[in-house]
Amino acid sequence: MAAVIAGSGAAVAKLLQRPAQGLARCSRQQYLRLRAQHIQPAAARSFTAGRRGLEKKYTEDHEWIDISSPDSASIGISTYAAKALGDVVYVELPVVDTEVKKGDAIGAVESVKSASDIMTPVGGTILEVNSVLEDKPGTVNKSPEGDGWLAKIKVSDAAELEGLMDAEAYRAFTEEVDTK
Amino acid sequence: MITLNRACTRARAHRQVTTRRWLSQSRLDRLAEPVQFYISTSRDPYLNLSIEHYLLQNSAPESTILFLYVNRPSIIIGRNQNPWLEVNLALLNPVSNDTPETEPPGPGIVDLVRRRSGGGTVFHDEGNVNWTVICPPKEFTRDKHAEMVVRALRSCGIERSRVNERHDIVLDQGTRGADTELEDTHVTPYTRQAAGVRPLKVSGSAYKLTRQRALHHGTCLLASPNLHIIPDYLHSPAKPYITARGVESVSSPVGNIMLANERYIDAIRVKFAEMYPATNPIEHVEVGEDWLDLDPVRQGYEELKSRDWTFVQTPQFTISTKAEPSINLDMELTVRNGALSGGTLCRRNGEKILDLSEQLQGQRVQDVDSWSVTVSNMFEGIATAEARTLAAWLDTMLPVYGRHNSK
Repeated sequence: MAAVIAGSGAAVAKLLQRPAQGLARCSRQQYLRLRAQHIQPAAARSFTAGRRGLEKKYTEDHEWIDISSPDSASIGISTYAAKALGDVVYVELPVVDTEVKKGDAIGAVESVKSASDIMTPVGGTILEVNSVLEDKPGTVNKSPEGDGWLAKIKVSDAAELEGLMDAEAYRAFTEEVDTK
Repeated sequence: MITLNRACTRARAHRQVTTRRWLSQSRLDRLAEPVQFYISTSRDPYLNLSIEHYLLQNSAPESTILFLYVNRPSIIIGRNQNPWLEVNLALLNPVSNDTPETEPPGPGIVDLVRRRSGGGTVFHDEGNVNWTVICPPKEFTRDKHAEMVVRALRSCGIERSRVNERHDIVLDQGTRGADTELEDTHVTPYTRQAAGVRPLKVSGSAYKLTRQRALHHGTCLLASPNLHIIPDYLHSPAKPYITARGVESVSSPVGNIMLANERYIDAIRVKFAEMYPATNPIEHVEVGEDWLDLDPVRQGYEELKSRDWTFVQTPQFTISTKAEPSINLDMELTVRNGALSGGTLCRRNGEKILDLSEQLQGQRVQDVDSWSVTVSNMFEGIATAEARTLAAWLDTMLPVYGRHNSK
């Protein structure tokens, strides 16, 4: 999933370097007019949206949530957390349709004899769980912020997303944690 | 006169109520103290693990806790393990089977307990003293408190003890080599000489990490009378036939440290106090059955004792007769959430005979009273002789366990 996002972003960037045509589907004049109105044309918006990290928000407990579609938001643990946990040998996933509150334990991950709770960054209803992890728990280590997503949640209160860190802030946070 | 008596009675009753309230209030206050030390008077593994879980969930986030407890003979499996794969269930209840008496005598009735932390299967008895340290996550490392226990053991003269790469505590075997750094708890004077001679495991570690707290607990084999029989309990006849998700145990040869419980407890107390100096010298607080009046402890206790937690929590697995040459059929069963979720019966050449009947989908393995009845229902129309063979095999591999206990 991560590779696909990066690939589409690079392709759109190359197209935008030429005069607006094809993908952007508007003339250069139109583009300049829109830009003056501070409206990004669709292509430019999907470019910024497509770059990894800008759709994700993070918690201090090292979980991430993909906020691009709050009706079905993927959640998982960060690369930082996956490294700290060690080799994941088993993932306990939540039951679909469970109602959860922000901070509730929705599952657990076992690694190096440790059962570690995974908390949900926001409240809502669990829509889907990543069944790939039942057979291949190591996916959490290989791609913690991509294929190793844990569950999809229907966010009940979008306001809860406000308090989360963006990628930059989270990176700064983990550096601070490491130096403590 | 009457007035005085009534006043006395009222005062006595009031004092009793105040005392009770004071005791429970002091228990809550204690959970907020920065350093706490508890020792259990109970030998009940379900209770001790519930008290431990309560301490994990309710102690002040910045506090550090030491908890020591001893369990009656029991097998403790990890949170994500498979009891049919890890344990010889047929041996666990000698009351209902004909195990011959062993010499020295066996441990009698042995409980089966699934704990909440990760890791593998261990055997507890009165010669094993369990230790738990609960601390804030930022103070936590997987070795920190195992190193503390090694320092305690070395202070009692157990210089062969060290922490190994799996965060367990082992006794190096073999002859003594050059001196090593006393402060280095990961090497002993015997370590280099022991190449080729496996160390003996005396303590296994497991962990539970929550949002606010980190728990590390471990066993400590001081003087178990059951070492000779532990391998029998921890060897399941079903092992060659089960493919399981979840966590499998890593087997190690074990040994006794040969130290008295009291001496070990004192040494741990001293080393813990050295790491976590408190304003007052650490006096331990006794905990026990009276903690069952705390609702969360009682609820946790009931959950740990429940057959659902013990069996339904098992990760998905399949069991198959493929590797059993004496059976002329390929039967494969899938068990999900402790219940039959699918199955096939085929000839050895691959030709399918039957699928698991719809009626038996969802049949909990723990609830099976008799495999001979169940097999006939699992595969409708199966020949009597074949059903008998498979039932006998399943009786050995997935034995009926505890169905007649009041537990």
